[in-house]
Amino acid sequence: MPTITFVQPTGKSDTVSVEEKTSLMRAAVANGVEGIVGECGGQAMCATCHVYVRPEFEDALPELSEDEDEMLDCTTAERTSQSRLGCQVSVGVHLDAIIVDVPTDQV
Amino acid sequence: MIVQGTPQAPGCPFTGALPEDAAERNALLSSVPADHGVVADSSAAAAAVEAPVADWVTIPDLYRDPFPMYRRMREEAPVHWVPAVNRYMVTSYAACHTIEQDADTFSANESGSLMKRAMGHSMLRKDDPEHKIDRDSYGSTLRPGTIKNHWASIFEKNNTKYLEELAAKGPGADFVWDYAAPYAAENLRLICGFHNSTQEDFQHWSQTMIDGTGNYADDPSVWAKSEASSKEVDAAIDDMIPYLRKNPDPSLLSGLASMPIPLESIRANLKMTIGGGLNEPRDVLATTVWALLANPDQLADVLANPKLFSVAFEESVRWVAPIGMYPRQTTRETVLEGVRLPAGARLGVVLGAANRDPAVFTDPETFNIHRPKKPHLGFGGGAHFCAGTWVARAQVAQVAMPALFDRLPSLRLDPDNPSIDAGWVFRGLTKMPVLWN
Repeated sequence: MPTITFVQPTGKSDTVSVEEKTSLMRAAVANGVEGIVGECGGQAMCATCHVYVRPEFEDALPELSEDEDEMLDCTTAERTSQSRLGCQVSVGVHLDAIIVDVPTDQV
Repeated sequence: MIVQGTPQAPGCPFTGALPEDAAERNALLSSVPADHGVVADSSAAAAAVEAPVADWVTIPDLYRDPFPMYRRMREEAPVHWVPAVNRYMVTSYAACHTIEQDADTFSANESGSLMKRAMGHSMLRKDDPEHKIDRDSYGSTLRPGTIKNHWASIFEKNNTKYLEELAAKGPGADFVWDYAAPYAAENLRLICGFHNSTQEDFQHWSQTMIDGTGNYADDPSVWAKSEASSKEVDAAIDDMIPYLRKNPDPSLLSGLASMPIPLESIRANLKMTIGGGLNEPRDVLATTVWALLANPDQLADVLANPKLFSVAFEESVRWVAPIGMYPRQTTRETVLEGVRLPAGARLGVVLGAANRDPAVFTDPETFNIHRPKKPHLGFGGGAHFCAGTWVARAQVAQVAMPALFDRLPSLRLDPDNPSIDAGWVFRGLTKMPVLWN
């Protein structure tokens, strides 16, 4: 099963194994990972599943949609070039392990 | 002045509170099958407990100030059967959050919903995938990009107009009815794309259809007003669609006019939006300003650091959620935070209580913009996460509040004419006289 590692601002990390096609947001919420809220349930509508994807995984990410792009402008923690919404990135054959940093704030 | 609803009466527009009047209540109860039946034992449910009965909760008390009752319920159990409102009330943060995350067990498509009669079957009472079709039909109208590029300047123009009307009215004016209500109504009118209507129409339609949604007493005069408004909205939509097809704009109706969406859905969703998109920005604007005026130290902090306007807005939504409760219905027997619920149980998800759960928020009854930031449930969650969230944030926290304190820096509550806050399904200020120099 694909694995996702969430690295907290404290340096503590959680690695979770999930079914293929699971989004980072869903994986975090289902496993009680701190710092990922996912208020809107994955509609790219709330900007509370913000993550920083480590650069080495950049090429395996889906393109940024217009909805995700505008929502990333609404994140509480600073948007960087590594910013993505966890609900818009899923793991699978193309991406069987990923490491992301959890921002300091989601709300 | 437009009066907000009928105080303490049938009460429960979006949920199903019972009427206060005994005769009305009996008439209703004889027509509605009770959900609070005995649940068959199963191994999963065996360890669970029955919901305690909160027969001490009354609708007039909820209307005046629900928070002490929410606290008492939450301390006793996360879920109660509440005879006065004829449903289970869910008051803990964890239980409300669980419901939001599990739409398969907790359906929005409530049986016997008067909202469906008053407004048609809108997305608010549908589950996915049907809900998603309607939700997607709203397109990008309410999204941050459209707000920034289109609505923000319109909100600013409307704010200037209604703020000047408030100023012209002079000290002693009512903050809610002379400013917040017309401002929120005019913004909503333009967002909906009703260029053939007025903000006064919107206030009237909104309140009368909400009253219809809560017409459990089956009062013919309430239905008559609600149905008249419903027909007026239908006529306004029919009138606008050909115009908007030729002259498209970023409004909801313009987008809907270009889509293969049944007219029935367009009508129901716009009526839901008129009913559910006016009170909330109006009430959160008034509540936030009321809280800041009552806490001058916090107001000073906000004025010194304008970034805190949005923090004050969120704290206000947490402290007094404008929509305090919404309904769900179980699709199967289940156990919620240790409490057994039968299939078909009608629930009230009490966000107003969850947002003051001390398990999540320290000193929860206090308005405090400096509290540690935690996600509140005021906008709901999951598929039904409030579609108007960003519109509300923009029109209230970005546009109205900074301009208000800039235009009327000595704004204060009238010490001799106290404000009144009321309601529980919808809660806000029903009277807020203000003074300035």
